[in-house]
Formats: sequence, C-alpha cells, structure tokens
Amino acid sequence: MDTAQALVMLMQGWGIIGALVAAVFLVIGIDRIDEDAQGAYIFRPLLIPGVLLIWPLVLWRWWQIESDAAAWAARYRPVRASYGPAVVLMSLGIIVIVIAGLSVRQSWPDEIAPVQLSAGADQ
Amino acid sequence: MSEKPFFVGYLPAPGPLRGFLILISVLLIAGLGTAGYLMGAAQDDPGPGAFRFDYGRQTVTGVVEMTPYPVIHVVEGNDRIKPGDSFMMTAGGKSGVDSRAMPLNGQLAQVSGIVLERGDLYMMQLRGGRNGLRAAEGDAPDIAAEPQGRWQLTGEICDGKCLAGAMRPGRGLAHKACANLCLLGDVPPIFVSSQPVLGTEFLLVTGPQGTRLPRDAYDYVAQFITAEGNITKRGDLLVWEIEPDTIRLAGEDLE
Repeated sequence: MDTAQALVMLMQGWGIIGALVAAVFLVIGIDRIDEDAQGAYIFRPLLIPGVLLIWPLVLWRWWQIESDAAAWAARYRPVRASYGPAVVLMSLGIIVIVIAGLSVRQSWPDEIAPVQLSAGADQ
Repeated sequence: MSEKPFFVGYLPAPGPLRGFLILISVLLIAGLGTAGYLMGAAQDDPGPGAFRFDYGRQTVTGVVEMTPYPVIHVVEGNDRIKPGDSFMMTAGGKSGVDSRAMPLNGQLAQVSGIVLERGDLYMMQLRGGRNGLRAAEGDAPDIAAEPQGRWQLTGEICDGKCLAGAMRPGRGLAHKACANLCLLGDVPPIFVSSQPVLGTEFLLVTGPQGTRLPRDAYDYVAQFITAEGNITKRGDLLVWEIEPDTIRLAGEDLE
C-alpha cells in the first residue's frame, strides 16, 4: 500500500465511523442531551456533514453531558482552552507544508540529455 | 468596573486599541501580500500555449492514422497548416476523438476545428460530429513509419491538450489530476523531453508495440522521469513507445 492509498483508506475509515456516529447521535443521542431538539427533525440532516468530520468531539460531548461528568461550564472549557494552541499549530503547519512542498519539488532535468541506445532499422 | 478597553464593532475603536488595530492591519496586508508574491514567484512559467481563436476555424484534409491515438497527416492544407504536417486531434472538454477517428483509420478525411499551439507543438480541437471529422474523396497515400531506434529520454508525460494550451499551467505537479483525467478521456499523451530529440522536444507517447499508454505510467504523469523505448517517425511526428518497467524518477538509477 502506498501513501496515497493509505490516506484514502484513513479518510474512508474516518468517514464510515463518522456516519455511524451521526446515525446513532442524530436518531437517539441528541434527544437525550438536548431537550430543545426533541420533536425537531428537519434540522438534523444538516448536522450530518459536521458530525462526519468531528465525530470524536461529538462523542466526547455526548458522554460529558449524558454522564454529568463535569459541571455545565466545564463541559466546554477544555475545547476552548485548546483553541490557542490549535491556531498556532495550524499556522505553523501551513508554513511547514509550503516549505516542505517547495523543498521536495523536482527541478526540471534540463541537464540530462537524450541517449540513443540503438539505431533504427533503416538508420 | 474594569478600565480595560473593549472593542465593539459598531462603535469607534477605543484609543489604546487603535495602535494595535493599525499594526495588525498593516502586518496582515503586508504579510499576505508578501506571501502571495513569494508563492507566485516560486511557480514555474506556464509557457506560451494557448487556444488560437485568433487564427479562426481551420479546415484541412489528410490521412487519419491511429497510433493508437488519432493523428492526421495533412495532404491538403491551408495558409497555416501545410501539406506534410502531422498533428494530433482532440474533442471538446476532457475527451478524445477515438470513436470518430477509428472508422476512418488509413483513409482520407477532412478535419475542422480550433488550433491549440505551444511553440512547435500544435493540435486541433475538432468541431462536434461530422462537422469536425468526416471522410473525404480521394485515395489516401501511404504513411511510412520510420524507426528511429531505441532511446532513453528524460522529461515529463503530459496530456497533449492542456500542454498545448487548453490550460495554464498545462503541466507540472499542480496539473497532475487534470492531466490524468484528460488521459482517461482519450486525450493524446505527450512527452516533453528535457532536451530536443531528433529536432523536437515534444513526442507523442504510447505503450510498447503501438498500444495505448499503460495505466502504470499514469502514476508518473507530471513527474520528471527517465524511461526507455523505441521512437518511430510517423509523418513529421515522433512517437515514443515507452516501456513502463523502465520508468523511474529523473536522477534515480535503474534497479
């Protein structure tokens, strides 16, 4: 398996798990943790793309609220606390990706000349 | 109550925050402008390829040959396309004209369309249906294939249409996905040689023994590679039969 296939398989796996989480959360979970969502269904399909992408966060928040594991405000604090480092890391990541891309880019091999290995039949 | 200044979007910015706001604005504009300039300057020259709508519609007559990609060897030319020229053909979008050309293989045909030109490489985007390609009256002269021997070339496999001017850039890694889609749609593939071969840097590239470009080679499209294969001159067009098992990245040794 090459790198491209591994990346595609990783994304497919992430998406499949996200789809399962979306199905369970939007059918069962959302009614259990948000009483305002009870009886409201039209908006739920709109959440599917988001759940596909951030399903670990959805599961964590669901567990936090369902289990009363933390006080109300504390359920949100860890996520907000990570915004700062995330912004810095993503900014640095863009710079690193650009520099890495430029550094591994091939240069046009104009110094390599064509080589005739054998003559043609009528040459 | 806190004396810390607080910015509200619909009110004038508090005094202590104005300097910060100006500084950030200047840094953002200058920084993004500089980043844009540097990224643009790092890109390769897209080259002079273009659709030549300024030439108007071109109509010529010639012999159709499936190499296996459709080529026409001009017999009756016009002001721009001379008898003896050979050029590749394509359809609109990311598709070739194989299905239209195959029934006319070896026969005289009239072709009509718009020329794409990049240096001494040109091809024609044919009009739709029989308006673009139709059988013509007359006997088709034989087009002799002239073997030019086996060659090791270094360069890049591109799709002929984008390279000739349908897109800018029409080659390079940023264009790889588009090039592969064009090749899957039967647009003729072109090899751009690092240095001229027998007088030209552009060769039609096929698989061994006149087969289509093997799918194994698609992974190397838009990368700079070295490979081996036989070159045959058909009309005034060079056709390189690339051997996929000899393909490696330029600069790498053959294992």
